[in-house]
Amino acid sequence: MEERVKDDMGGLAATLDFDAELMLRVKDGDGASFAILLGKHRLPVIHFLYRMVQNQAVAEELAQEVFLRVYRSRGSYEPTAKFTTWLFRIATHLALNSLRDGKNRRLEERLDDDSSETPVRQVSDQRPSVEQRMVYQARMEEIRRAVAMLPEKQRAAVLMHKYQEMEYSQIAKVLNCSESAIKSLLFRAYETLRARLAHMA
Amino acid sequence: MNCPMETGGNAELLLDYAAGKLKAGARAQVALHIEVCPACSAFAGAQQTVWQALEDWEPAEVSLDFDRRLHARIEQAVPWWTRLLRPLNPLFRHGVPIGAAAGVVIMAGLLMNRPASVPAAPAPQSAQVEALQPDQVESALDEMEMLREFNHLVPDNAGPKM
Repeated sequence: MEERVKDDMGGLAATLDFDAELMLRVKDGDGASFAILLGKHRLPVIHFLYRMVQNQAVAEELAQEVFLRVYRSRGSYEPTAKFTTWLFRIATHLALNSLRDGKNRRLEERLDDDSSETPVRQVSDQRPSVEQRMVYQARMEEIRRAVAMLPEKQRAAVLMHKYQEMEYSQIAKVLNCSESAIKSLLFRAYETLRARLAHMA
Repeated sequence: MNCPMETGGNAELLLDYAAGKLKAGARAQVALHIEVCPACSAFAGAQQTVWQALEDWEPAEVSLDFDRRLHARIEQAVPWWTRLLRPLNPLFRHGVPIGAAAGVVIMAGLLMNRPASVPAAPAPQSAQVEALQPDQVESALDEMEMLREFNHLVPDNAGPKM
């Protein structure tokens, strides 16, 4: 299919990523292309938002809004950047707004709560003991707290760098900063995380 | 290799090293440097700990009905007339150009075969005179004669006296 799209679009295809080509098809009224984009980016977006706001229900609600905005903006879409840059710019914008608006109050409540939404990881014997489970949950809680305490922009940059494996230049475009500012932001963020998580070595 | 910790702007080299993002050549260079530089070694070790901790952080499961809810919201935003006409979309998409072309041909054919029922252009004035009946002309001449006689009977100073 990729080849066919490239053939259809001629020389333009060389400068576009495949997702952008799909989005142009959505712009032309092709619902199937939207389904492909959704299937491809659903999990990365939800996971990014979950780690940003640290609440699964809020993360899914925000992800719904992200894809809804993508769909609604199809008419005015122009592939001026990578599709994922545009997508994560929307996601980051919504996450930061959500955090600033205090819609995610449950996060703070949950951080003070012992309960956890994190799935229990299966360790080697596939039947973790109560002790192993508690150790794992305490470790996850510590990681979540460390990330949650980062300033919002630093948090977004770390999550995109670590989990989306984005280049500095792309993170810079998402967060509307210079590349050197992003490097500095990430350096400070990891410095904080190193201090908080050093004992996990 | 210069120490990345001492060279301004090169610290990301150590971040990328810990993240495993460096290409083989650069990675080997940094590894060699780390062996002899305690500061970089400590930095890279701590950074790898952070990287591994973040690696272990698994997100929660996504709701199975995520897509269904999204499509329902998209559907809600679609105007009712669009939903109503949706079954006809294939016709509009593929049939309209053919239908339009066929329509143009049929209309052209109809216009060419149509009898001249359109109003004729106004005839020249002479033709209108020719169309007058003889009795109409006679009557008009009679009226003109009566007017002439009437003008002779009325004196020039026959206006109302005050």
